[in-house]
Amino acid sequence: MKKDPRYKSGLISSLNPFGYNIERWSYALHRVTGVVLIGYLMAHIFETFQLSVGTTGTAWNNTMNVLHSLGPLELVGLWIVAGSALYHGANGIRLILNEMFGKLVGKPILPVYPYSPTSLGRNQKIVIWTITGVVLVLWVWAGLYLLAGLGVVQ
Amino acid sequence: MKESWSMILTYITAMVLIFVLTFHFLLQGPLAGKSFEDTLAFSYSRGNLVSFEVIFGLLLYTAILHGLNGLRVIALEWFHPEKKAWLLNLIVVALMAFFLALGSYTLIMVG
Amino acid sequence: MTVLDALIEVREKRDSSLGYRHSCGMGICGSCGVTIEGVPRLACQTQVSILKTDVIRVEPLHSMSVMKDLVVDITPFMAMHKSVKPYIMRKDVDERDHSDREYRVLSEEVRRFLQFDYCIMCGLCYSACPTVALDPAYIGPQAIAQSYRYMADPRDEGWDQRIDLLDTSHGVWRCHVAGACSFVCPKDVDPAKAIQMARKEILKKRLLRRKARIGAPPVPPMVSKAVKQGVMPPPFDFGEGSVSRK
Repeated sequence: MKKDPRYKSGLISSLNPFGYNIERWSYALHRVTGVVLIGYLMAHIFETFQLSVGTTGTAWNNTMNVLHSLGPLELVGLWIVAGSALYHGANGIRLILNEMFGKLVGKPILPVYPYSPTSLGRNQKIVIWTITGVVLVLWVWAGLYLLAGLGVVQ
Repeated sequence: MKESWSMILTYITAMVLIFVLTFHFLLQGPLAGKSFEDTLAFSYSRGNLVSFEVIFGLLLYTAILHGLNGLRVIALEWFHPEKKAWLLNLIVVALMAFFLALGSYTLIMVG
Repeated sequence: MTVLDALIEVREKRDSSLGYRHSCGMGICGSCGVTIEGVPRLACQTQVSILKTDVIRVEPLHSMSVMKDLVVDITPFMAMHKSVKPYIMRKDVDERDHSDREYRVLSEEVRRFLQFDYCIMCGLCYSACPTVALDPAYIGPQAIAQSYRYMADPRDEGWDQRIDLLDTSHGVWRCHVAGACSFVCPKDVDPAKAIQMARKEILKKRLLRRKARIGAPPVPPMVSKAVKQGVMPPPFDFGEGSVSRK
């Protein structure tokens, strides 16, 4: 791949949200969680395929043993995947509202100083922070369930 | 094919995925009434696939279409191929076909 | 004191070789775009006091090639702007270019696109955009916003063409609503809003099969009551050959 001659361009720059608005942070996180999820999905399909090998479950149990041999890394990894799925899904709802239905961005206005873009306005912020809160709560619950065996609803 | 159609597919699969993935988490998670280790048992996992074959089929197809389309977008932005965009699309479609085939095979054999 | 004042001070008293662009000094021309403390801003509009640091880091605009010091090559940015045909398109080009009549726009119609008309083409949004950082072929928030500005203009009849220009693999769909463009825009053009509105137009055409509107026909120029009553002279006629007329 040819080196990009532009100043501070590339993957790291595109994912670097420091100094910017919260929506840019959510873009970076959405992208990172998306990559985590697609990697997990492809591996998960191979893993689930073991359920179809034979009827005694030997292949499936062997696969599970390999995963269990990772120790706490297995559950921590699953916890990260769970958090990624929660955030990517919740933020995805916000993005569908923005992109497909044009909601949360406001209407064209006459700019009056001091400027405050409506696309980054109150509605957008409420939704972002609500998403963040809900995702954190569910992620903690997922952590308690996976890592400590707590939070099971009988 | 216009890019808007692939994005419409992304949006629709996203909306469906929210429901089917939530269902998957409910079956494999704390609302199943079991510990996580118990949900990994062969009989339980296989039983779920048999009982909810249609939902898991929907989950497979929407997840692969949504995920690999996302990967295609990232690759398109990162590599921005001027003349070989068709090659990138071909690779993604091939990957989609492979994983859909593998997943469909699993569902059919288990069912 | 603004960052531009500081740059001028540096060039006058410390390093006369320092290269940077500036012109109006009041946030109208868009020449002095630079990256200040990691965020693209206009140097003439950024007060040193708000940065709350003793050492200010000033860099060239990100995602653009550096020509010298703080001067960047804006050719790709301008090329993207040109590529979206940022002018009124009419099916009858002759009527548009050689007419003694005018296109009239109502106030409520103007409000639908006026915000996006305030763009000064400073390039800050283009520099801030994370997709531009990754993909140099992406047309960028400024170009999409300007394309929408004309889509929303009732005089424009190029809706179909603009949709086809935006609906490409490096067009409007590569925006991921990071909002950095609107965050840095010095004139509150809010390109992120324009981009989502442009997407809605594309989806209207693809999913709802909406057809392009026909632009309102031109009308005879308004003649004020004062001119009709003879109180004021008519507008100055610059004579034969000075204006293209049929």
